[in-house]
Amino acid sequence: MKPDQIQRKMNKIDRELLVLLQERMGLALRAARFTEAAVGTDLETDMLARAERLNLDLIESTFTRKLLKTIAAESLRLQDESRTLVAFQGEHGAYGEVASRRLIPDGAYIPCLEFIDVFRGVEQAHFDLGVVPVENSLEGAVTQVNDLLTTTGLKVVGEVKVPVKHCLLACEATDYREVRQVYSHPQALAQCRNFLMRNKLEPHPYYDTAGAAKMLARENLRSAAAIASSLSAELYGLEIIKEGIEDSPANSTRFLLLAREPYAGEGEKTSIIFAVPHKAGRLFAVLQLFAEAGINLTRIASMPLRSDPGNYSFFLDFEGSEKDKEMAAVLKKVKALTIWLKFLGSYPADR
Amino acid sequence: MKNLRLAARETQKRTTVTVADVEIGRDFVVIAGPCSVESEQQIMETARSVKAAGADMLRGGAFKPRTSPYAFQGMGLEGLKLLEKAKKETGLPIVTEVVDPRDVSWVAEFADLLQIGTRNMQNFSLLKEVGQTGRPVLLKRGMYSTLEEWLNCAEYILSEGNPNVILCERGIRTFENYTRNTLDLSAVPAIKELSHLPIIIDPTHSTGRVSLIASMSMAAVAAGADGMIVEVHHKPDEALCDADQALKPVEFADLMKRLRPLKSFLGDLP
Repeated sequence: MKPDQIQRKMNKIDRELLVLLQERMGLALRAARFTEAAVGTDLETDMLARAERLNLDLIESTFTRKLLKTIAAESLRLQDESRTLVAFQGEHGAYGEVASRRLIPDGAYIPCLEFIDVFRGVEQAHFDLGVVPVENSLEGAVTQVNDLLTTTGLKVVGEVKVPVKHCLLACEATDYREVRQVYSHPQALAQCRNFLMRNKLEPHPYYDTAGAAKMLARENLRSAAAIASSLSAELYGLEIIKEGIEDSPANSTRFLLLAREPYAGEGEKTSIIFAVPHKAGRLFAVLQLFAEAGINLTRIASMPLRSDPGNYSFFLDFEGSEKDKEMAAVLKKVKALTIWLKFLGSYPADR
Repeated sequence: MKNLRLAARETQKRTTVTVADVEIGRDFVVIAGPCSVESEQQIMETARSVKAAGADMLRGGAFKPRTSPYAFQGMGLEGLKLLEKAKKETGLPIVTEVVDPRDVSWVAEFADLLQIGTRNMQNFSLLKEVGQTGRPVLLKRGMYSTLEEWLNCAEYILSEGNPNVILCERGIRTFENYTRNTLDLSAVPAIKELSHLPIIIDPTHSTGRVSLIASMSMAAVAAGADGMIVEVHHKPDEALCDADQALKPVEFADLMKRLRPLKSFLGDLP
C-alpha cells in the first residue's frame, strides 16, 4: 500500500467509527425510553474482558477503559438532553431521514427496518414521532404505508414534500464502465428506470436506498453501484458517479409526520380515510359534499380493503381544518354517507 | 452520392437541431471553451468568460484522442462532472467528445451535444453507438475525408434513428504547412447543396494559429455557416494541450463583438 492509500483507508475507518457511534447513541436514546433499569451487569468490565480475549495487542486496556468511559458519559449526556425521538424507515442517510430533519430540525433520528416498526414504535411510545412516505410524484402511493395508516391509530401532525435527487454511488476505485448491478429500494429503482435502461444496468431491489449504499461500502463491491441520496455518499464514503439520475426532475416524495396525539393547533390541511357501501353514486355523493362546500381536495387515492376484497378504502386530503365549524358540518354529513370513516387529523401544510 | 438516403438534400427543407434550448441551423451559434477540462478553476473561469462574451454553448474535452499516447489523455469522469458544474452555474449546454463506444451512454448522461472528433469520423461502431443514444451529435470531418465519405458517416448516425446531426468542418490535410490544416470553407456552401444538415466550422484546429482565427470566423459567417466551435482558455500559456491555438477570453470577446453585426448585415443584403 502506498502512503495515500493508507491514509485513505484510515479516513474510511474513522468515518465508519463515527457512523457506528451515531447508531450506538441512537440505541442509548431508545434504551432510555424503557423504565425498567438495564440488566445489572457491569458493561465496562464485560467489554474489557472481551477485549482481552480478543487479544488486540494495539488496544491497551487503559485505552479501552478510557474510550468506553467517554462513550458512556456522552450517552448519559444525550439521554439528559431529552431530544425528540423521530423514527424513519431505512438506514441513516435514507430520504426518510432527510424528511425527518426538515420536519424536526433538532430531533434524534432513529432508523427502523420496516414501516411497521415506525408505526408500532410510535404507538408504544418508544419513539415520539414517526416519519413515513405516502406518495411519490413519479411512482404514486406507497401502499404499505397507506395500509398501516388504515389499520393503526396514529394521527398525522405534519407533512413535508422532499425533492428526491437520486445519485449513482460507487466505491472509490470503481470504474463506472465496470458497473453492471445497481442496488436500491424498488421505488428508487423505478424512479430511475430510463437511466438504468440507457446504461444497460441491472436493477437489484434492496430494502432501503441508504442501506444499499451502506452495504456497497462494507462489501467494497466493484461491479456494483447504489442509488441513494448525496447524504448517503457522505456517510458511507462513496463516490458520486452521477447526480440527478431520476427520470423526471420533478421527482418529489410527500412524507407524513405521525404522533399518538393529534396536532394541538388549528391546522390547514386534513386527511381522512373512508369506505362507502357498494351502491351506485355513493362515492360521488361524498365528493359532491366537498365540491358544494368549495373545499379543495389535494389528494384522492383508493386501495382495496384487505378485510373485504372487492371493496375499497378512499384516502382524501383537503385544505382546511376539521376544527373549523363549517368543515365540521361537512364532515358530519360525510360520516352519514360512509360505512367507515377515520380522521387522521388536521396539520400545518408544507408550502 | 447514391447511398445517402437520409443525409442528402432532396427538398428545400433544412434540418435544425435543438441542443438544450439552442437551435442550430437557424442563427449563428457559437460554441467556445478549452480544448480539455484541466481543473475546476480553469473550466469555471473560462465558462464564465465565454458566457459573458455571448457564447451559446460550452466545449471542453474529458476524453482526448491524442496523437501521442504520452500526451494528457483527459480527466475522464472527473472532467464530465466539472463540465456539469459549469453548466449548472452558467446555463451553457455542454459539448464534449466521446472516443470509446463503451463510454457513449455515460458521456451522454453529462453532454448535451456529443462530439465525434476528426480521427474517429469513420469509427463506425462509435457512430452506431452515438446514433442509438438519440443525443445530438457534432460530427467533425475527417482530416483526409471527402465530402461524400463525411456524409456517409452522418448517414450511419441518421440510420440508427438519430436525426440530430450537425457537421463540423475542421480543416483537411494539404501540402501547406504554415497552417496546421487547411480550412475548407467551400465545404460550407457545398454541404448546403448536398445535404439538409446544419454545418459549423472550427477555425482553431484548422488554422492552428491564433492570429488567423478571427478572419476565418468572419469568413465562415459570410459563407453561410450555421455556427462555429472555437477554443478559449482563461490562461492559454498554461494549457495542457493545444496551448498555442486557444484564444484568450478578451480576444474571444472582441471577436464576438464583430460576428453578430456581420451576421445581421449579411441578412440585410439584397
